Amino acid sequence: MGVFTPTALLSLPGWGSFLLTVLTIAGIYSLLTLGLNIHYGYTGLINFGHVAFFAAGAYTAALLTVPPPAQVSGAEYVFGLNLPMPLGLPISLVAAAVVGGLLATLIGATSVRLGSHYLAVATFALAGIFGSVLENEAWLTNGSFGLNSVPKPGRAAMSADTWAVAYFVFVVVVLVVVAFVLSRLTGSPFGRLLKGVRESEDAAQMLGKNTIRVKLTSFAIGGAVAGLAGGLYAHYVGSVVVQQFVPAVTFTVWAALLLGGVASNTGAVFGAFLLVGFRESTRFLTNIYDSLLASLPTVAADALRLAVEPLPDHASFVPSLRFVVIGLLIVLVIRYRPEGVFGDPNEIDAIGEED
Amino acid sequence: MVAFVTQFVQTLIYGLIEGSVISVGAVGLTLSYGVTRFINFAYGEFLTYGAYLALFLSGAGLGLSLPLPVATIVAVLVVGAFGVGVSRVFFEPLSDRGPLPLLITSIGVAFILRYALTAAVGVSAKQLPVPLMRPVEVFGVGTTPLRAAVFLVAIATMLLIHVLLTYTMLGKTMRATSGNRNLAEIAGIDTDGVVRRTWFISAGAGALAGVLYAVLFAPFRPTVGFEYLIVIFAATLLGGIGRPYGAMIGAIIVGVAMNLGTTYLSAEYTMAYAFAILVGVLLFKPDGIAGGEI
Repeated sequence: MGVFTPTALLSLPGWGSFLLTVLTIAGIYSLLTLGLNIHYGYTGLINFGHVAFFAAGAYTAALLTVPPPAQVSGAEYVFGLNLPMPLGLPISLVAAAVVGGLLATLIGATSVRLGSHYLAVATFALAGIFGSVLENEAWLTNGSFGLNSVPKPGRAAMSADTWAVAYFVFVVVVLVVVAFVLSRLTGSPFGRLLKGVRESEDAAQMLGKNTIRVKLTSFAIGGAVAGLAGGLYAHYVGSVVVQQFVPAVTFTVWAALLLGGVASNTGAVFGAFLLVGFRESTRFLTNIYDSLLASLPTVAADALRLAVEPLPDHASFVPSLRFVVIGLLIVLVIRYRPEGVFGDPNEIDAIGEED
Repeated sequence: MVAFVTQFVQTLIYGLIEGSVISVGAVGLTLSYGVTRFINFAYGEFLTYGAYLALFLSGAGLGLSLPLPVATIVAVLVVGAFGVGVSRVFFEPLSDRGPLPLLITSIGVAFILRYALTAAVGVSAKQLPVPLMRPVEVFGVGTTPLRAAVFLVAIATMLLIHVLLTYTMLGKTMRATSGNRNLAEIAGIDTDGVVRRTWFISAGAGALAGVLYAVLFAPFRPTVGFEYLIVIFAATLLGGIGRPYGAMIGAIIVGVAMNLGTTYLSAEYTMAYAFAILVGVLLFKPDGIAGGEI
């Protein structure tokens, strides 16, 4: 837990700004889901370490733009390039995408040759290693304190609400551009090659295609999109900390992809908005409960209190239930609607029939 | 020099003890892979449930205070039965759909089990009621009787599984089903029954590994099993997936390597040594030392 929460924004008044936060995060998660869709949806590669590419992008953007350690009290990291905002933003985001793509290529190079089960375990394990490196190499990442002065581009020039709107628009523009490029890509001969590898790697090889290379390219593209998402995230939240990049992020994105529809870019975006919307809106269950208790007539309030009383009373109760729902969602979609909401049943028939 | 030898031997001993605990989990995972043909990412939750059930039975929460060994046996049996239930509800309905849906489902199941437990008990760290003990030392190396007991229980479990696989009808039918399910079925083996019993043994072994782990490395949280899963994967794949004896050897190697790494390289990367072994195996010998079944 503790995966996201830009608390700095939640302190703004009103439902509008909260909604904006949710939508912005959902936009960023849409990019993550689009990246995973290239891996799993189009190429059939099981990537259980997606969060590593997200983290790589976020840390890259942060390191390029945080002030040097001399200007930050208690800093353990040895360099921050302090690129000026907002002009440095494109550099920072491109670098985030490049590093995400490079890490994906590196991880892919070790494991895309493997069968799908091994690939799942290998990506999961490599993301774990990457996470512990981020946590332990404090000279680079400031360790578990994280880099907390990532600049919010343009924030100085406008009010908090205006900036939130502007950044949301920016995220949407990036999302639209990326979605457009990806849909052109997946509709191109290269996209059919990806699907060919997904349907039958042997057949693609028979046709003289270098399937290892195709899979690596797929890994790199998806990783770069996830890295870009990481950069956008870092500049939005203003800090990167290891606790934001846990395996739960990977599997939230998986749930979004499966629900929205494998091998459908529309589905990926839809799934991400639905999942993030669900995750964020349940933050307010306890508030709603409290205000219900206050506003209901005494009898009804007492009845409600009695009904809720047997439930465990600790802070992780509601957040835990959220993940139970995400788990259930994965199980149910796979069992009853494997193509998701927008997917095409014919597309997923062949995924995983590798033997 | 003497100090170096003492420290080295001591590290080996800790490695062997941890390796024996890993081997219980790794054998459990590999046995179920043998008959179900997918890597179960929910396996770690059996460790967690084993540790928590032993905790509740031996003193915390349920108003019971069974002695820990009794609580452990009950936990192993209950989690074993629970494992059969989990496979019935979540995995068997998908058994004809190939390995990928099962693999992805296991992630969902892991989330459901882990966070249902977290919702019920919270994230605060718990500890089994085990006594603090002074180590028994010979020439400056040694271990506590408690850790020695953990080692013996793990070794006894390995022997038991060896006897089961080699000398009992169930073990033979398990190996036959693992080798070729269709052929086993044609030969008149009730493969569905074998699969169910394998789930029982596999989940029970997971629960035992969880309790032993909790004894060695108290305190623990609901994420304990999921966090240890990679270590078990490393041992399982190093041994060659689907190979129980390979898993035992792989587990000892992983346990020793993790402890050597922690002592001589960097204490911060305990789990990462297991990751590194895992990645090394995948890169250079993906079918493991005993020749896995993928």
